[in-house]
Amino acid sequence: MEAAKALSINESGADLVRRCRNGDGSAWEEIVSSFSRRIFNLAYRFTSNAEAAEDLTQEVFVRIYKTLDQFDPKQGDLTNWLMRLARNLIIDDYRKRQRNPQDSVAEDVEDHIFHLRAVGGSQQNEMERRELCAQVQAGINKLPSDLRVCVILRDIEELSYQEIVDLLEIPEGTVKSRINRGRIELAKILRRMRVVNV
Amino acid sequence: MTLGNEKDEKNLICSEFEDQLSDYLEGGLGGEVHRGMGAHALKCPLCHELLNEVRGNLELCRVIAEPTPVLTKLEAGIMARTMPETEMGCDEFEECLTDYLDGFLPAQLFHRWERHAVVCQSCTDLPGAVVRSIGVCYTFKMEELPLPAGLHDRILQMTLGTTEAKTVRASAVSQAGEWLRSWLRPISIPLPQLAPVAMVLLFAVLLFSHVIPADASLTTVYQQSFEMAGKTYIQGADSLEAGLSNFGSSIDTNSSSEKPAEQKSQESEQKPTYVNGGPAR
Repeated sequence: MEAAKALSINESGADLVRRCRNGDGSAWEEIVSSFSRRIFNLAYRFTSNAEAAEDLTQEVFVRIYKTLDQFDPKQGDLTNWLMRLARNLIIDDYRKRQRNPQDSVAEDVEDHIFHLRAVGGSQQNEMERRELCAQVQAGINKLPSDLRVCVILRDIEELSYQEIVDLLEIPEGTVKSRINRGRIELAKILRRMRVVNV
Repeated sequence: MTLGNEKDEKNLICSEFEDQLSDYLEGGLGGEVHRGMGAHALKCPLCHELLNEVRGNLELCRVIAEPTPVLTKLEAGIMARTMPETEMGCDEFEECLTDYLDGFLPAQLFHRWERHAVVCQSCTDLPGAVVRSIGVCYTFKMEELPLPAGLHDRILQMTLGTTEAKTVRASAVSQAGEWLRSWLRPISIPLPQLAPVAMVLLFAVLLFSHVIPADASLTTVYQQSFEMAGKTYIQGADSLEAGLSNFGSSIDTNSSSEKPAEQKSQESEQKPTYVNGGPAR
């Protein structure tokens, strides 16, 4: 997110994309640097697996690179366009894996979560935060897939109801109901895991 | 009076006081130590102030943590007994939870929901748990995983065919276009704002190019302006006269046609004369 802000300060998205289309490698590298971490984290929240998230991030960037011509600055800024595309691809991949459970990747939350970055504070706080994040990811993983998608999009990605409707192509009532059910289920799971105290 | 890290008679120093402050406030210290803490707080103004501050903060936290109940259990119980038909089931309660948190529940449903939250023991804690889990999700969102080593290069390799992105350059034509655009950008951006200024400048140029004489002296400019004003005056007087004569002829055609020649010449003599285009004084 910080990278995206820096991007808007340094150069507008439209200029970057135009340079990319002209074949300027450094412009494309700037886009990759600005958005790769955010997209990787989004992919990780859906896959719960670092390797799968890496593969998915690569696929997303390849697709973005191929469709740069479709970017229209009049329709919105680069961040919105790029993240919308990334969300679509990641959710498509998630649905595909849900339909074919053999393609589902093993969940390695506990292994990977220890690579979380430190954001200052004492070492104990950092450990507690890591543990909390691992538990939240584990709790989210326990949600049914349809509820999980809605909870991630609403409470972690902070999309509006309408954006979720557009993304998932399901009625608004269904989206609201899934978010509500997902939140309740997640609260119950986290309460059982003693992440959320009563 | 003892200050700083001086030991008092109970061998308690300020740093020890600070370490045991939480236990002291929660009543978790033994009798002797508890009394020592009290005595130190009375003697040391710094620790006394600290104690009051922490105690005040704890009190504030308690007030914040315990929201004032909108509906008491007694009221909810009475409503449940007297109007059982308005009672809400647990399923409906859960269905309305997000709408309640978002503030979208209609008034009637809102009151039924709150009554159920008070009366139903299994549902009482649920709203708080949901709110806390949303808060935990937010913490989770803020904790981003770092980018795995090499992923950046792998993306560049897959898209550009090389990890050295700077070596991939745009064609000469594109670079020239980019250079030109970068030069034009500062001019093109403020154009809308400068449009009125440009209009005024254009108008000024047109006006002065018409008025300013070859020698460009200010006196001549005034002279020219004076002449122009004079010409305008004559034209205006002529057109007024023509209009009046037409008006007169339409009223009395005979009298105007029979006007003697001497009178006409007198009228023409009464017209003002101009020097340099202006009226003579």
